[in-house]
Amino acid sequence: MSEEKRLHPISTIISFVKHLKDAVIPLVLLLFLNRGDQDSFLSYMPLIVLGAFLIVILFLGILKWWRFTYRLEDGELRIEYGLFVKKKRYIPFERIQSLNYSEGILHRPLKLVKIKVETAGTSSNLESEAELTAITKEEANELNSIISKAKKRMKGQHEESREEGHALNEGGEQPEDIPEEKILYKMRAKDLIIMATTSGGVGVVISGVLIFLSQFAEMIPYKAVMNELAEVVEAGVLLTGIVVFFVLLVAWVIAVVLTFLRYADFTVKLVEKDIVITRGLLEKKQTTIPLNRIQGIRFNQNIVREPFKYTSVTIESAGGSALEKDSHTIRLLPMIRTKQATPILQVILPDYEWESEFIGAPRRSVFRYMFWNLLFVTLAIVPLSYFFYPVGLLSLILYPFMALLSWMQFRSAGYRLSPNQLTVRFRVLDKQTVFMKRKRIQSLELRQTWFQKKGKVATVSATIKSYIAGSESSVKHLAVDDVEKVLEWYRPEGQLLEEKEKVHQQTVE
Amino acid sequence: MDRREPSTRISERALTVWKLYGWITAGIISLVAIAVITLSIIFDWSNWFIVAAVVLPIIDIILFVYIFPTLKWKRWRYEVREEEIELQHGIFIVKRTLVPMIRVQHVDTEQGPILRKYRLSTISISTAATVHQIPALDLDEADSLRDSISALARVAEDDV
Repeated sequence: MSEEKRLHPISTIISFVKHLKDAVIPLVLLLFLNRGDQDSFLSYMPLIVLGAFLIVILFLGILKWWRFTYRLEDGELRIEYGLFVKKKRYIPFERIQSLNYSEGILHRPLKLVKIKVETAGTSSNLESEAELTAITKEEANELNSIISKAKKRMKGQHEESREEGHALNEGGEQPEDIPEEKILYKMRAKDLIIMATTSGGVGVVISGVLIFLSQFAEMIPYKAVMNELAEVVEAGVLLTGIVVFFVLLVAWVIAVVLTFLRYADFTVKLVEKDIVITRGLLEKKQTTIPLNRIQGIRFNQNIVREPFKYTSVTIESAGGSALEKDSHTIRLLPMIRTKQATPILQVILPDYEWESEFIGAPRRSVFRYMFWNLLFVTLAIVPLSYFFYPVGLLSLILYPFMALLSWMQFRSAGYRLSPNQLTVRFRVLDKQTVFMKRKRIQSLELRQTWFQKKGKVATVSATIKSYIAGSESSVKHLAVDDVEKVLEWYRPEGQLLEEKEKVHQQTVE
Repeated sequence: MDRREPSTRISERALTVWKLYGWITAGIISLVAIAVITLSIIFDWSNWFIVAAVVLPIIDIILFVYIFPTLKWKRWRYEVREEEIELQHGIFIVKRTLVPMIRVQHVDTEQGPILRKYRLSTISISTAATVHQIPALDLDEADSLRDSISALARVAEDDV
């Protein structure tokens, strides 16, 4: 496969559509503006410009497709492209973390895929990412197997030179050419519907529908509708109720449809040392996460879903694509009962501990959680009550809610230490549980305000790498002794002693 | 309980530099204050403007030239051990940070014109996800620290 190859010609259409999408607003403006005088040459001007524009875009698309070639050579993926200036991008196989597939509407009838090449995502290497817009599935699979084989071979050599014992194992794995696939989780339609119903997206959709309605208020003959209805139903309250219900229903349906588009057929597979997630209805997406890139696991319990014991599980992963915005926190299990999540995770990451018993914040911390939240709310309530005197007093209702939230925050706060893992649990609004291996924690911090010092409590904060930046998890107002314990646990010098002891024990045995 | 509090202080000249920074901002604030006073005399504004324009710069000088730099300097400690770097700083919120050597990816030193004049330098320690700074170290100390950290920092075998 070392000869030069081009993408499937359909990629000209894909890039054409993409450019068209980017330019849609100016184009529409061009069409609808400037429609004054008829029968003159000028009135055809917009159409002529538009036509010329489309032709140029199409032509550029073809040219781009013609200039884009890729080949596999000397253990590198070599891509050459560029309209006027020829650019070359060579990516060594061992730098390639994963190939992510996705299939758009145009891809599917032709059995094509789009491939995103993900590399170790340090900020300086962002440039070394690549995208193959459309190649056939066979080519993609071939590419994938060549790269993974080459990677394996390199790794094998690497390890042989380092440790001879490992070479045997490597050799043992080699003969299986077909990678072992294990389906771990499939999302059912019922789950998708519940997810759509309880997601924050519903709120967004509702406001979207409202905005939409208000925009078109002039076009819809509200008055006529209302008058007619008012004759039938006397109470306006009922009408409002109906309208609200209608809006909610529409919003719900939209949310469900959107969720289905994005998450239909959501499947999690374990393929050798990679997690492979496929999803999507019209556009199929496949994300591959090498297990060794996983930095931590986060359970996020949405406050609406929490009473039903549902949680979402996301992976914090180093690397990931800079081209795809949401790829650094990968939803491994978008919505699942906590009890069901644990067995799946045990298969994927057997060395993690998924226990859920935590050492919480001491009783004296309740006051701290309350105090700051209530103070914060007061800052909103006082001006509201003052400036909107009688009605503004309604904002006092925030107090009990905030007190409840503070109580929940206090109850959620906690940590758990095991020899190699720190698990923290905290709540802002949603309850979060973060599982971190010690060797994945980049730095650990103890924070203490003057007030916290008085109360002998402190905040612990651990940072792991996520994508190209860090992701910080902190638990407030834990007993200072506990935080010190975590700090001591993290201290490498303590670890050294432990390891020495371990080695000693082993030799004794 | 604080048996492991980091021991090394940063250079005393840091205090001088921070005070200098304080004076520079105070100078800028005073200029604004003078402008306000002049304007309020010309346009006959309320006297409160003049009071504020006199009081605020004084408060600023007291806080940012005398009190805060001293507190900050007193709090700042660091210690570079064979396996780890420990930092402690913060006036209102005391932060104690632990960075294992194997997590360190690179170390930089940098100095601006003022720091250079006082032969000081700021050292930044970067891990894969975080950056930690020790401000205003003696130049030679910073350089040798940088070298020793980068010698001690070994590349971790795992992916990040």
